[in-house]
Amino acid sequence: MQRQVALIKKSLFDQGYLDEQFMELEELQDDANPNFVEEVATLYFKDSIRLINSIDQALERGSFDFNRLDNYMHQFKGSSTSIGASKVKTECTMFREYCRVGNAEGCLRIFQQVKKEHATLRKKLEHYFQLARQAGPKETARRSK
Amino acid sequence: MTVEQDCVALDQFPVGMRVLAVDDDQTCLRILESLLHRCQYHVTTTNQAQKALELLRENKNKFDLVISDVDMPDMDGFKLLELVGLEMDLPVIMLSAHSDPKYVMKGVTHGACDYLLKPVRIEELKNIWQHVVRSRFDKNRGSNNGDKKDGSGNEGVANSDQNNGRANRKRKDQYNEDEDEERDDNDDPSSQKKPRVVWTVELHKKFVAAVNQLGFEKAMPKKILDLMNVEKLTRENVASHLQKFRLYLKRISGNQQAIMANSDLHFLQMSNGLDGFHHRPIPAGSGQFHGGAAAAAGMRPFPPNGILGRLNTPSGIGGVRSLSSSPSSGMFLQNPTDLGKFHHVSSLPLNHIDGGNILQGLPMPLEFDQLQTNNNKSIIPGNSMAAFPSFPSTQQSSLPNNNSHLVLQGHPQASPSAFPGHQINKRLEHWSNAVSSSSSTLPPPPAQNSNSIMSHQFDDGSSSYSIPFCDSTIPLAPAMDTNPRAFYRTTDLDSNANVQPGGVYYDSLQMRQSGNYGPTTDALLSSNAKEGFIVGQQKLQSGFMGAEAGSLDDIVNSTMKQEQSQGDLSEGDLGYGGFSSLRTCL
Repeated sequence: MQRQVALIKKSLFDQGYLDEQFMELEELQDDANPNFVEEVATLYFKDSIRLINSIDQALERGSFDFNRLDNYMHQFKGSSTSIGASKVKTECTMFREYCRVGNAEGCLRIFQQVKKEHATLRKKLEHYFQLARQAGPKETARRSK
Repeated sequence: MTVEQDCVALDQFPVGMRVLAVDDDQTCLRILESLLHRCQYHVTTTNQAQKALELLRENKNKFDLVISDVDMPDMDGFKLLELVGLEMDLPVIMLSAHSDPKYVMKGVTHGACDYLLKPVRIEELKNIWQHVVRSRFDKNRGSNNGDKKDGSGNEGVANSDQNNGRANRKRKDQYNEDEDEERDDNDDPSSQKKPRVVWTVELHKKFVAAVNQLGFEKAMPKKILDLMNVEKLTRENVASHLQKFRLYLKRISGNQQAIMANSDLHFLQMSNGLDGFHHRPIPAGSGQFHGGAAAAAGMRPFPPNGILGRLNTPSGIGGVRSLSSSPSSGMFLQNPTDLGKFHHVSSLPLNHIDGGNILQGLPMPLEFDQLQTNNNKSIIPGNSMAAFPSFPSTQQSSLPNNNSHLVLQGHPQASPSAFPGHQINKRLEHWSNAVSSSSSTLPPPPAQNSNSIMSHQFDDGSSSYSIPFCDSTIPLAPAMDTNPRAFYRTTDLDSNANVQPGGVYYDSLQMRQSGNYGPTTDALLSSNAKEGFIVGQQKLQSGFMGAEAGSLDDIVNSTMKQEQSQGDLSEGDLGYGGFSSLRTCL
């Protein structure tokens, strides 16, 4: 079981879904915070979904307020970075770039990517955490790439 | 923190350091909290800046350090930073995902003791306790220095220009040598708020008499002071005045004519205004100084060469500048708005010394120092100089040609705060008077002649005393020299009425009749001044006569040039700091 967990985690890293920051978080997990990483991930998804919705609404309105969009995305990117969501972060950066140059179409397109990556990560992490919980917290923390 | 708290905390410090973490992003906040816990700090978190402030206000001693995100919806992180710094004086660390140096700079300028980029690493957090220690350490140190620091700080702050204070100090340092006393004087007085000495005509007369008695070469402040036997006059006052006087003399030495007569007046005017400068060579500033005027203004009696020469030199100007570090630069500068007042301020063409400082160089010896420090115009005649806002460098052009009029526009009344300039104005006027008188033909001193500017003033050297510099009435005319008025700056400066050419520098030789500078010569001055310089009024706080100085220098220089009298202009060592700048202008 633990090996499985470890493998999953490894693949997440290998595929670039997660980066070193995630490892840092795992380092913080200890007896005092046995589920720290999961807690943080949960928080992250809660927040980020909210942000995604805001961005969606802004984009749907059609009035491309790039500043505002950029602000949202900045926050989103910040959280994603904190948790180590690597691919999501990349898409966010691209989105911000499109905002910067005022490319509305680009923004829309990229945002779909953002959402997709975000959803994928979320699923994978949920799966991962589930297994990890079953396997036992300590081991999962150590088994990083 | 109470003592006990301090002790307790220190015992285990940094363990247990109490941190308040603020971030609207829950994810980041949670991570941060965890990281901080890992460092063994005591952590309190909140995702709202307002809440954070409440917590802090509730008990100022509850936290040692604050870490805050920059982008927060309810309050800008920088704003929070400022408030915390002001109200609680706690070290604040900024956190942001923005790595843009602009933000970092903003953090620094708002008082953050550090700026961290997200995602934060634990290594970085492990060392944040140093900021708490440093802050406490600095506070202790600060309180030890207490007055002194405050004094100097006040100096700057009082002038609302820290630069001024610093500049003053710095300047002083630069010019030290003779100025040590003055410097000290300046520094100390500012903190101690010593009242400035106004060198009235009578006082100056005594001074001159004492100097003559002792012999110019041998005149030492202490002896002069003894001879003068004036109460409440300190050796430092005398010393600084002497310096200015020397510069003045040098400056005017080139222009014999005006100088002689006006020197006293001019000197006084100048010195009064320029007090601050004393060391600094008058920044010839845009050169507006009419050489003559400058010369006349201060230096008449003595070959201005030296002084004048110096005035013009940019170094002079620069020197002056130092006097009034930018804020003060006003000396000669007149604000265009204040022009009216200044008129005198003459547009010293100070070579652009640095805009404001042109005058600084001016020997506006008189109280210039005081000006600077106090920025009080009222007292220091010199202030007027300071009042002069930096001369617009543009002025320069005016000087150059033959009559460069240095119009020192000192704002005579220059906004009180802005500059003590009034005096400068006056001084400038005198200068101009002096200059003009000297320079050219020394038109009949009292106002009339030649320089219209002068006309006013000189008439009787009284009152506003035509101190060349600021005083509007300085009759540059030869009459000047007789009066000590020249030297003393009447606080009249304000009264533009005299319009003394003080502000305006007449061409050195010819006192430009430019308008009559007569009382209200504002217009005149303006006209002249235009050329010369418009002393921008910059905060003269620094009392910089610099501007004036510049103009004076210019004036002097121009005068000198025209007269060719001595070639000293350029260099002259301005005895008076201020004056030298004049020279440089030229």
